[in-house]
Amino acid sequence: MKQENIRNFSIIAHIDHGKSTIADRILELTGAISEREMQSQLLDNMDLERERGITIKLNAVQLQYGKYTLHLIDTPGHVDFSYEVSRSLAASEGAVLVVDAAQGIEAQTLANVYLALENNLTIIPVINKIDLPNADVPKVKRELMDTFGFSEDEIILTSAKTGKGIKELLDAIVERIPAPLGSAHGKLKALVFDSHFDSYKGVVALVRIVDGKLKVKDKIKMMATGAVHEAVELGIYTPKEKQTDELVAGEVGYISGSIKSVRDIKVGDTITLENDPATDSLPGYKPMKPMVFCGLYPLESSKYPDLREALDKLKLNDAALEFEPETSKALGFGFRTGFLGLLHMDITLERIRREFGIELIATSPSVIYRVTKTDKTVIDVDNPIKMPERQKILKVEEPYIKTNILVPSDYIGPVMELCQNKRGNYVSIDYLDKTRVNIHYEIPLSEIVYDFFDKLKGMTRGYASLDYDLIGYKESNLVKMDILLNGEIVDALSIIVHKDFAYKRGRAIVEALRKQIPRQMFEVPIQAVIGSKAIARADIKAMRKNVLAKCYGGDVSRKRKLLEKQKEGKKKMKMVGRVEVPSEAFLAVLSMEEE
Amino acid sequence: MAKAVYIHIPFCASICTYCDFAKVLKNEKWIDAYLKALKQEIKINYQGEIINTLYIGGGTPSTLSLQQLETLFNILKIFKLSKNVEITLEANVEDLTQEKLEFLKNKINRLSIGVQSFDDKILKLLGRKRVDKSNLILAKKYFNNINVDLMYGFNEENLDILKEDINMLLNLDIPHISTYSLILEPHTKLYIDNYQLLDDSTENERYIEKTLTKHGYIHYEISNYAKKDFASKHNLTYWNNDNYYGFGLGSSGYLKDERYENENNLMKYLNGTFIKEKHKLTKLETIQNEFILGFRKLKGINKNIFKDKYGLDIKDIKVIDELLKQSFLKENNNYIFINHKYLYLSNEILVKFLDNDLLK
Repeated sequence: MKQENIRNFSIIAHIDHGKSTIADRILELTGAISEREMQSQLLDNMDLERERGITIKLNAVQLQYGKYTLHLIDTPGHVDFSYEVSRSLAASEGAVLVVDAAQGIEAQTLANVYLALENNLTIIPVINKIDLPNADVPKVKRELMDTFGFSEDEIILTSAKTGKGIKELLDAIVERIPAPLGSAHGKLKALVFDSHFDSYKGVVALVRIVDGKLKVKDKIKMMATGAVHEAVELGIYTPKEKQTDELVAGEVGYISGSIKSVRDIKVGDTITLENDPATDSLPGYKPMKPMVFCGLYPLESSKYPDLREALDKLKLNDAALEFEPETSKALGFGFRTGFLGLLHMDITLERIRREFGIELIATSPSVIYRVTKTDKTVIDVDNPIKMPERQKILKVEEPYIKTNILVPSDYIGPVMELCQNKRGNYVSIDYLDKTRVNIHYEIPLSEIVYDFFDKLKGMTRGYASLDYDLIGYKESNLVKMDILLNGEIVDALSIIVHKDFAYKRGRAIVEALRKQIPRQMFEVPIQAVIGSKAIARADIKAMRKNVLAKCYGGDVSRKRKLLEKQKEGKKKMKMVGRVEVPSEAFLAVLSMEEE
Repeated sequence: MAKAVYIHIPFCASICTYCDFAKVLKNEKWIDAYLKALKQEIKINYQGEIINTLYIGGGTPSTLSLQQLETLFNILKIFKLSKNVEITLEANVEDLTQEKLEFLKNKINRLSIGVQSFDDKILKLLGRKRVDKSNLILAKKYFNNINVDLMYGFNEENLDILKEDINMLLNLDIPHISTYSLILEPHTKLYIDNYQLLDDSTENERYIEKTLTKHGYIHYEISNYAKKDFASKHNLTYWNNDNYYGFGLGSSGYLKDERYENENNLMKYLNGTFIKEKHKLTKLETIQNEFILGFRKLKGINKNIFKDKYGLDIKDIKVIDELLKQSFLKENNNYIFINHKYLYLSNEILVKFLDNDLLK
């Protein structure tokens, strides 16, 4: 294929604006798949993605459109995964920006456009869902023009549902997006923008060939890690896998080479030829750092090796996932695991449960606090139990974010109140138009980690959208709060909390635990303490009695059945000291009911 | 070697609203056929051991006529009985007429009487006849060794009714009392009527225990109280996890390492299908049963007997060790037993013995 006829592009959109449906229509129109094969939203091939209607993992598909070869690189639509968006964008020359005709620009629309601009991509604005009864095309056009400076005739109108406008969109893609630069005769430089693990092929890397040519059996070298492998198989997705003999500059495809460890292929690394290496590597990405950490423990301690394997496997496909072993007095052996955000955490937990069948206990999520000790040394604290003693702390800083909250102006009041309650500092309000605003606050990340997003959605009837940037660390009056169960500290329940909110938090947690932990054979006090000072207490009353059944000759088998049933119920419990604690209770810290 | 025999007589003059045992309304033409089948079953399966306890339960064995009882006791002559054999018959109060007591006098040496309550309202709820106290007084003249079943945990009940019931038994000087909280079993009238049990009968249990022990009863099993030397030898067979024969409709038995359950369909039983299913116990299951049953006894499980039976030191079992440390179990020189504080929560302790890795 001629390089000048290649077009590499991504589709970017706020969640639910129709990105995957547009991708499906493009696949259909280019004949990549017949309508009969069409499983709605084909690119979302993980069950979880289809269930939640969101794309998590990226896919790259090669399509034929006339004489043109298109590579469509899918992107996730949630703030947690903006890192993966940037990876897709780095492998493209253009981006299709999809905006819902009824919703208009949302927080992720802004975030994604900025990412695309950073990558110097050609952006094609699309207003989708124009068939909806509440579509307001003129208003959304205005927003796109005012906010990003598009001209009216650049904007393409589509209804992915009916297929209207898709052909125009494809034409615009081949006309406006430039062909890839780079030379097929140069030294090989291939950007790894994703990888996954296949049980037959080993690690499969998705690559964009920037310069040069890669052939089957070539010895390839990872420029960052130095690892050398043989390119056993090359291919493209159409979306079905199709093997090829070579991949040439401008193309997007996959490489497999019996690579057993995903650590040998770092996403963002540059692949070159061992015997004819390029001198310098491609820019790659700055790897995104996890921002939210929690402890993950198998409910049955014997499953610890399985959990390690599951995390290893997920890590193959998920460069943002970080974990290292940790031990908890209460929960035994587990892993401190880092995530991009709460959704990322949620999805990872769900995948471990579903795909690996491991029942998990997750401790409450924490951000990374920066603690300066009295001896002036600075440490990062990603787990409350690592917090030094109070006397040894000079100051504690916590990460802050700056919000983009896009919301109809009617909701300014409630949103500001929410931000205020979450320890936010007001920055500014920008008017997108007369009825829509972008509210900027600086808020501690730890507050967002809890229930901020749900609250925001709730109080704005789903109209608000949220995006944020990390802006750095600020000093806060933070203390470690411990939870005592039956007089003993449960390390897995400790949290770091702002002193002014500690009392309220402590009460809410203690109360949530009282409700979630069933009665035991003895009375169990629950206390929230800071240092040695108790700030909240509740008691779980002792169980009164079991039903007293007679037990004569044949009754032993009946009694056994009864006990078996009781045992089944206890399976979801973890023994903490002498107390049986249901696994959900370890997230009690999250269930913060407002008074 | 089984040294205990249970005989089930499923016939009743009326059906109680809580009962889920194998029982049928009394029907003369079935009784003869039943006794014939019973005779056959015993003949086939009894291996000729010397029997220490014989227990005739039901149903209501006392509802049989003198003639039917005569037939029954003739059948039971097949058993070789030890000198000190304990022979118990379950009876309803209304059957304890002078004539029947006179007949039973030389056939049995222990009566187990289903009283449940003396309160008319409660008896009505249970579908039982009013209790004629004079029959109880009469029974006392014929038998020393008497048990009375007492039930509590009724929604309508207040402590006054229970106090009254206990007083009555104390006045009658009944040497053995079995107490149970009402349980709603599926397929019973109370269950179908969605009867609401008393929420919490802890107070009742405390009262029973306090009062009976004060009056010289020994609380020897979680639900059973006896004056000295009046503990039920037969029931201790069950709680000691020892072998026993079970004959008759819906009964169960435990021979060698096999537990079996009898057919509970009367027609099938009459046609000669006696055993419904057998289950060979593993060593693990046997030991688990030892705990489930043995810890019902307040004295607990005898360490030496345990070692003789299973070739295993009871304290080598990890769970035992842990429970002792947590003081859910206690021990003295010879026995391990449930801490009395947790007696009424014993299920919480017993459930820990169901672990498949118990012996590892």
